[in-house]
Amino acid sequence: MFRQMGSEAIGSFFWLGVGIFFAIEGIRLNVGILKNPGPGFLPLIMATLLVLFSLFILIKGLIKSKTPLSKILWKKQLLAVVSVFSYIFLLEFVDFLFSTFIFMFILFAILIKERYRWPKVLFYSAAVALAAWFVFYVVIRTPFPSPRLISIWS
Amino acid sequence: MGVLLGTLIGVLPGIGPSGTISILLPLTFKISPVTSIILLSGIYYGAMYGGSTTSILVNIPGEAASVVTCLDGYQMARQGRAGPALGISAFGSFIAGTFSVIGLMFLSYPLTKFALLFGPPEYFSMIVLGITFVTYLAQKSMAKALITAAFGFLLSFVGIDMITGKPRYTFGIPILLDGVGILPLVMGLFGVAEVFKNLDSPETRAIFKTKLRGLLPNRQDWKDSGRPIVRGTLLGFLIGVIPGGSSPLASFASYAVEKRCSKHPEKFGHGAIEGVAGPESANNSAFGGGLVTLFSLGIPPTVVSALLFAALMIQGIQPGPFLISEHPDIFWGLVASMYLGNILLLFINIPLIGVWVQILKVPSKLLHPLILLFCIVGAYSIRNTLFDVGMMMLFGVLGYLMDKFDYEPAPLVLAFVLAPILEQGLRQSLRLSGGSFLIFFNRPLSAILLGAAGLLTISYFFFKKQREVLDVKDENA
Repeated sequence: MFRQMGSEAIGSFFWLGVGIFFAIEGIRLNVGILKNPGPGFLPLIMATLLVLFSLFILIKGLIKSKTPLSKILWKKQLLAVVSVFSYIFLLEFVDFLFSTFIFMFILFAILIKERYRWPKVLFYSAAVALAAWFVFYVVIRTPFPSPRLISIWS
Repeated sequence: MGVLLGTLIGVLPGIGPSGTISILLPLTFKISPVTSIILLSGIYYGAMYGGSTTSILVNIPGEAASVVTCLDGYQMARQGRAGPALGISAFGSFIAGTFSVIGLMFLSYPLTKFALLFGPPEYFSMIVLGITFVTYLAQKSMAKALITAAFGFLLSFVGIDMITGKPRYTFGIPILLDGVGILPLVMGLFGVAEVFKNLDSPETRAIFKTKLRGLLPNRQDWKDSGRPIVRGTLLGFLIGVIPGGSSPLASFASYAVEKRCSKHPEKFGHGAIEGVAGPESANNSAFGGGLVTLFSLGIPPTVVSALLFAALMIQGIQPGPFLISEHPDIFWGLVASMYLGNILLLFINIPLIGVWVQILKVPSKLLHPLILLFCIVGAYSIRNTLFDVGMMMLFGVLGYLMDKFDYEPAPLVLAFVLAPILEQGLRQSLRLSGGSFLIFFNRPLSAILLGAAGLLTISYFFFKKQREVLDVKDENA
């Protein structure tokens, strides 16, 4: 059903929701009076504008030609997001070098699509992890979380 | 280092100068304000130089301002004249870049005096004009650009209200009291989103095989390019000064002017050197123009200057009319570095073109995991909290979806940065006037600025058809 509505209508539904949410919260914040505008004054104005523009796009999208929705390949993006959050989680337990190696290994495995890719994936992951460890850990001294389980270098 | 990195980024299609500056912003915590602003500016004008290389040799613009260079630059390369095209683009960029530094040097200080005439209503109206201009110039749709701008304003309201001290949209989360960070926002929208887009369709680059000889343009080339370089330089600088007037706009405007001024407009699109010289000069000159507005009024006219604005704010420096007098080292340090940077770029670009061509062969699948890693470490190092990394990923997903639904991120970022000035201007003006909106129209400068914003909006609907024709032409190009 969503695909038939066209990308403009689907997108405007999202913004409409965001606008309504911010408008309600803006009213709760105290809008004030014109002589003394409160903290919710400009948020309410902006949220109302957001709602109005979204409605304009929504109506235009429903009446006029429906722009087809671009193909969204959720699988790879989802894998990337999951791997980033797993990486963040892993950083709490395993040190930077090791967790970066695992993270890079997953990303290169997603991206490199060749027949004999594993030696390449291994090599790139190790090289990037070592370079990143040298730059961020040794040179810049970024204070990463102290690993609770495995620590190779620190 | 900035100009080298900038050229590299300009050469590699994809990430672009905004993304690179966003990713590198956290690194500037550890260096002095002068060094950081020099590094980030160098990245930008280096990218302007580097972007032309891919436009001419691959027909893929390295960044948005080089789109128009593809039209004639690539045709010149096909005719065996890649050398003069690259040469004139480097010389034009050098001349324009140097002129814009001179303009920045002589115009910024007098303009700061003018900026002191600005009260809250003028600041409010100036921001309204700037946002109107940015949304007017949006490539896709003005309504969509206005939506993203409104969302950018709303995001900036998260945190403590600067007048009452009351928390807004924090939902009891203590870390949100500091507001949404500019770094997770820009790194997500420009860095992470770019990686996600590339996961969809990894770009392929076919480099046009041609021998790069005779990089120095001949006498006829100089004769044909002289006036376009001068016109492009002046036009670019003026466009840069206007809030919302970006380098891509300057290069498009210069191309249109050159085509109109030419005795042989039919040659445009078939390898006219004027079509390379003018736009390449204009996009470099626009950057200097933009800095004039940033340093004198404290208003960033483009996304890149908004990022420089953010870099200064991170260092605890408030850009505005007092910046030059309070922090002369930053202003003059930047001016000196831009002179040096432009000379360096001339020497880097021309002899090293062969190296840049080789770099073009680096597959994007190797670069994108690195970009993602840089973004994660950068976001984490802001406050040493994983919350910022989560925020960045959220904005990355939003940026990716915005691209799929044809929404542009530039108005969002600009509105986010300008929101505090707009809100302060509006609330203070209403208090001054006792709640009357007439204050914005009673003061001449404010009325002129708002009038200009109104005229722009009206003209959008008048010239909508012409814009659509131009868009189609751009797409075909």
